[in-house]
Amino acid sequence: MDTLVNVAHGFGVALLPINLLYCFIGVFIGTLVGVLPGIGPISAMSLLLPITLSGTPESGIIMMAGIYYGSMYGGSTTSILVNIPGEAASVVTCIDGHQMAKQGRAGPALGISALGSFIAGTFSLVALMLIAPSLANVAIAFGPAEYFSLMVLGLVVLTFLTQGSMAKALLMACIGIVLGLIGLDSITAQPRLTFGRMELIDGIGLVPVVMGLFGIAEVLINTEQHIKRDVINARITQLLPNKADWKASAGPISRGTILGFFLGILPGGGAVVASFASYALEKRLSKTPERFGNGAIEGVAGPESANNAAAGGAFIPLMTLGIPPNVVMALLLGAFVIHGLQPGPLLITQNPGLFWGIVASMYIGNVMLLVLNLPLIGMWVQLLKLPYNILFPLIILFTIIGVYCSSNNVFDVYVMIAFGVIGYSMRKLGYEPAPLVLAFVLGPMLENNLRKSLILSQGDLLTFVQRPISAACLVLAVVLLVGPLLPSLRKKRELVALDEGV
Amino acid sequence: MSDQTNVKLRLNNSELWGGLIGLALGIFVIRSGLKLKLGTINDPGSGYVLFYTGMLMCVFAITIIVAAVTEGGPTFALRWKDTRWTKPLLIIACLTAFSFALDQIGFLLSAIPLMLLLLRVIDPVRWTLAIPIAVLTPLGVWWVLKRLLLIQLPSGIFEIG
Repeated sequence: MDTLVNVAHGFGVALLPINLLYCFIGVFIGTLVGVLPGIGPISAMSLLLPITLSGTPESGIIMMAGIYYGSMYGGSTTSILVNIPGEAASVVTCIDGHQMAKQGRAGPALGISALGSFIAGTFSLVALMLIAPSLANVAIAFGPAEYFSLMVLGLVVLTFLTQGSMAKALLMACIGIVLGLIGLDSITAQPRLTFGRMELIDGIGLVPVVMGLFGIAEVLINTEQHIKRDVINARITQLLPNKADWKASAGPISRGTILGFFLGILPGGGAVVASFASYALEKRLSKTPERFGNGAIEGVAGPESANNAAAGGAFIPLMTLGIPPNVVMALLLGAFVIHGLQPGPLLITQNPGLFWGIVASMYIGNVMLLVLNLPLIGMWVQLLKLPYNILFPLIILFTIIGVYCSSNNVFDVYVMIAFGVIGYSMRKLGYEPAPLVLAFVLGPMLENNLRKSLILSQGDLLTFVQRPISAACLVLAVVLLVGPLLPSLRKKRELVALDEGV
Repeated sequence: MSDQTNVKLRLNNSELWGGLIGLALGIFVIRSGLKLKLGTINDPGSGYVLFYTGMLMCVFAITIIVAAVTEGGPTFALRWKDTRWTKPLLIIACLTAFSFALDQIGFLLSAIPLMLLLLRVIDPVRWTLAIPIAVLTPLGVWWVLKRLLLIQLPSGIFEIG
């Protein structure tokens, strides 16, 4: 009953005209960046982070969330029609989605992808509504040791899932922690690594770091090659899947939804892992696995449902524990912090309007996305023809303005350009920026909780293993750290390795 | 793989350089941690986490170096093979020049040439389209920010904008 009252309250917030507008802008931009290859939700959210400053926290966060789950919808369009994933979570959709399009079945592929996404998105919201308040009650009992160990686990899982060498990913995570510690020490107020510059006293801002590493670096990487696009030009008809399509897709959608939701909750996991896992599962369960790769609708329905369910599930650790499970959620945490809010166990009780408003807006957003992605598909197809030589300079200009507006400080523009160059060099040398960004956000919290636990336990390191949740997290982290040394686990890691860590 | 693509103890082994940079950073972080004072385990000081993070950085960097020496790694040339590497280089040069000019001559006078250069550097857009985009976009953005959102962009020594 309480939940229903809260949901009604949430809809009251989400249905305010200004919040509806922000929700629409969010899902529209999300679909746009999902459709456009080369620009992912991380770049778009980092670009728009400063804009959230101008409105209320609800509006800003509703928009940011909309970009994330909107990009999951939009990504499939490019995968199916162009065979280029619009964003990392849609990589698997290319395999069977584009084959379906080539066989003249682009309509059902797009249709099942949008409808599967809608079903999964709605399920994950119901689960979020039911699980988050209970988990928040449990999380109140968490002490600094649990928080520290959970953050360590989150970082280790992300580094485990990051593409390439794990040592490189761990090095990136360490650099992220160090960058996060720049500025005044929160306990002793001693300046750290500021090099005598006043601009660094408050630390480096999240906005210039992320915009540099993902916005500018993305443009630099993309300009290195000619982006070729082989758009399916045939008219897209019959978007609604037929009875046989539904029969084949029902199982994959259900399994993808549940699998994706739980993988989304796990720290370090997310939409990309979910989509890969769902594809692997469907192929394994199929009586005709040879159809996979040749236009099997199950290969579209499962992963697309899984990535949307994961996008919803990822809100749980952020909202209930205050720990972002992936980089996108780290950006969302940044948006909360910009507004002076701290997500965590008390958020739901102290700011019920905000929490339930965001949840309700996601329902509305999912309906908006269904409309945007089915009847308006033709518009997105036209967008795929937008020339990149005009788009990239505009992205650069808007990143510069976005960074400047977030702090009114030219120094942040220098920081962004520097991180753009660093991000580009890192990617060329095979270092992924995702662990760095997550560690950058978690670094100060990690340090605070470590120091608090040591002070409270009077320097007893056993405090981390004597508390069951903390011990479980640390054991899992150690397993994942040692795992890649075993050839069988190394192979599995390579299979699920991510591009962007989302 | 040929020695051109997978070199071991050579100066152009990009993996080796990545590890060496990581090691140098790690040593710097350890030094900074020590300078800030470690404190005790009962009461960790400002440099405590930095010091141990620096130690971890050194361990991971050494792992990368060892892998680079024993297993080899791609050369720098291979990393940029078949790419239009001059394009990002030119964009970086444009952005660096822009960052120096922004505070000196202001947003409008620096953003218009930046846009024009970018439009011509990345797969050249024809002049008749590039000039209007380069002029109108920064002007439009400046107008929206200054008039509607009341955000002042740098106006530089000429106080334009």
